[in-house]
Amino acid sequence: MDFSIVGSAIGEALTLDSFIGIGGGVLLGYIIGVIPGLSRSVAIAIAIPLTFYMSPYIAISFLIGLSKGTAAGSAVSAILLNAPGEASSAATCLDGYPMAKNGRPKTALKIGLLASVLGDILATIILIFVAIPFARVALLFGPYEMAAILAFALVFIAGLSSGSLFKGLAACGLGILLGTVGLDSQTGMPRMTFGYTELMDGFPLIAVAIGTLALSEMFLQAERLRTERHNMSVKINDNPDDRLSWPEFRRTIPTIMRGTGVGTFVGALPGLGPSVASFMSYGMAKRASKTPERFGKGAPEGIAASESADNAVIPAALIPLFGLGIPGNVSAALLVGAFAIHGITVGPLLLREQPELLYSIFAGMIVASILMLILGWFGLKLFAQITRVPPHVVIPIVIFFCIAGMLLQGYGGFGLIILLAFAVLGYLMKKFDYSFVTFLVAFIITPMLELNLRQSIILSRGDPMILLERPIAVFFIVCTILALIALAVRTVKVRKPVAEAPAD
Amino acid sequence: MARHSFWSGLVVIVIALLALNWIIPGYAGSNPFAQIPPDLVPRLASWLMLICGLCIVTGAVYDMVRQRIPLFNSNIDWPALAWASWPFAYVALATWVLVYVKITYVGPLIIALLLYLLGERRWYILVGCSIVPVAMLYVLSVYMMRVGVV
Repeated sequence: MDFSIVGSAIGEALTLDSFIGIGGGVLLGYIIGVIPGLSRSVAIAIAIPLTFYMSPYIAISFLIGLSKGTAAGSAVSAILLNAPGEASSAATCLDGYPMAKNGRPKTALKIGLLASVLGDILATIILIFVAIPFARVALLFGPYEMAAILAFALVFIAGLSSGSLFKGLAACGLGILLGTVGLDSQTGMPRMTFGYTELMDGFPLIAVAIGTLALSEMFLQAERLRTERHNMSVKINDNPDDRLSWPEFRRTIPTIMRGTGVGTFVGALPGLGPSVASFMSYGMAKRASKTPERFGKGAPEGIAASESADNAVIPAALIPLFGLGIPGNVSAALLVGAFAIHGITVGPLLLREQPELLYSIFAGMIVASILMLILGWFGLKLFAQITRVPPHVVIPIVIFFCIAGMLLQGYGGFGLIILLAFAVLGYLMKKFDYSFVTFLVAFIITPMLELNLRQSIILSRGDPMILLERPIAVFFIVCTILALIALAVRTVKVRKPVAEAPAD
Repeated sequence: MARHSFWSGLVVIVIALLALNWIIPGYAGSNPFAQIPPDLVPRLASWLMLICGLCIVTGAVYDMVRQRIPLFNSNIDWPALAWASWPFAYVALATWVLVYVKITYVGPLIIALLLYLLGERRWYILVGCSIVPVAMLYVLSVYMMRVGVV
């Protein structure tokens, strides 16, 4: 490891520009996270156009800060409103809301915040120590291994992020089909562009991401307004009993450690996502407790378990991204898009070609965690006020920013039509339980999958026996087949999702 | 749920067949000298969709027969359908307007009207929520990104 690069990366993370960029991301994420229904992937999709004028380091750190902020912010609405800002904070409601109703909302919020920050920092440290050796090994992989790993990741995500493997794979097929639109990289011929020059570069990622994630979500929320309108938020008063003491926090530390472990493990696996991690961590904390009957009635360990796992997933999801270039969930997939917009290919090559940028991002992530603690601690009352904003006020503003984001990229009317088309597609996929997570990940990694598949076929001259010399590729092909069989059997037998909520 | 799966599976099959029989042969291009043709990956994706669509429909038919669920639902909630549809129509209309007028000029009206349609009647919320986001967009596009008024 070149320590001069690490030193300059830390120096860059501690500049004023960096603090403003990352702090802005965390603050915006916090505000968006507090509003129920706006998830971190929606926040990233809307915020990508804001990063066009930023440097690559500030842009990526801003988006990662935003992601961390939404995860921490979603706990506020879970605790005060009993309505999680996003699905992954649903487990926080189980103990957070009863604690707030019992007159201790500030304590609940502070436990949630500290657990989030600790889980996040520890998982970031694990990311730094795992991703770099992982990327060094991945640099030895050829197209055979990469094609096999990508296929495995897609099957895994398709099987685990939706109720049915077949629906997940159908979404994956559609993502691949639409991902191939544009100029063919080998022959230079237009593919499925129907004569539109605007489609020569393929469907714009911004339109696909904002349409399927953000705009479609606003349509769903507008639909829900017909039956659900009012929020009843718990008020924060100056109650002398509502203070977090050190002994009370100390008792939650083992739970936070366990939650971080669960979150890191689940986050590093493609397709599972933070909802699975937080519920798994909550269940483990309850089983490990000597007084499990306190859970569900305002136990601090319940909040700590859920929030630490939820936040640990974010850095952990970057392990396969920085190590292999494979996004394990929607947020990571959107980061791939953001990297591409700034002309950077994310993956193991980043370590070889731009190590300063990689180390700067790691340092920026630690800065984001510290800023998250400061903003969350001192902005407690302000964020609590945001929970009172009714959804019907949020929807028009988000729709406006969705449209504005598309226009900022210079696509004009054609881009808006594509945006609306993908919003309709996203709405229908969500309504009919087709995994939009798989669709989006497949859409984004299709160019990489196709390139590696092509190189494999060209290098092998069509002879599959060459795989016998590639044990890692064979291992992943076997894993893909086994995963397909196991997930298909589960779909047919149980017909019930492993991850009830989307892996974002 | 089974009915939903049946119809959605059918749509997946139709899309896959359209892709395999019309879109890919007509528009995916071909090159006899390329070691892998440009239509290989789209074709594989379409076959994947077709196979999965067939599995979804088969499973749904099995469930529908077992639970005696009719193919069509006669109790359609038309008001709910209308409520779900109008935001799409609104954004489509806004898209048409934005082809001719810049969003910075017409943005406040688009937000305010949507707020009003969603039930907001307080004038200060209508004014504040419609002007502040547009002002933010103006600052972003003109002063930060320097791309001019969008």
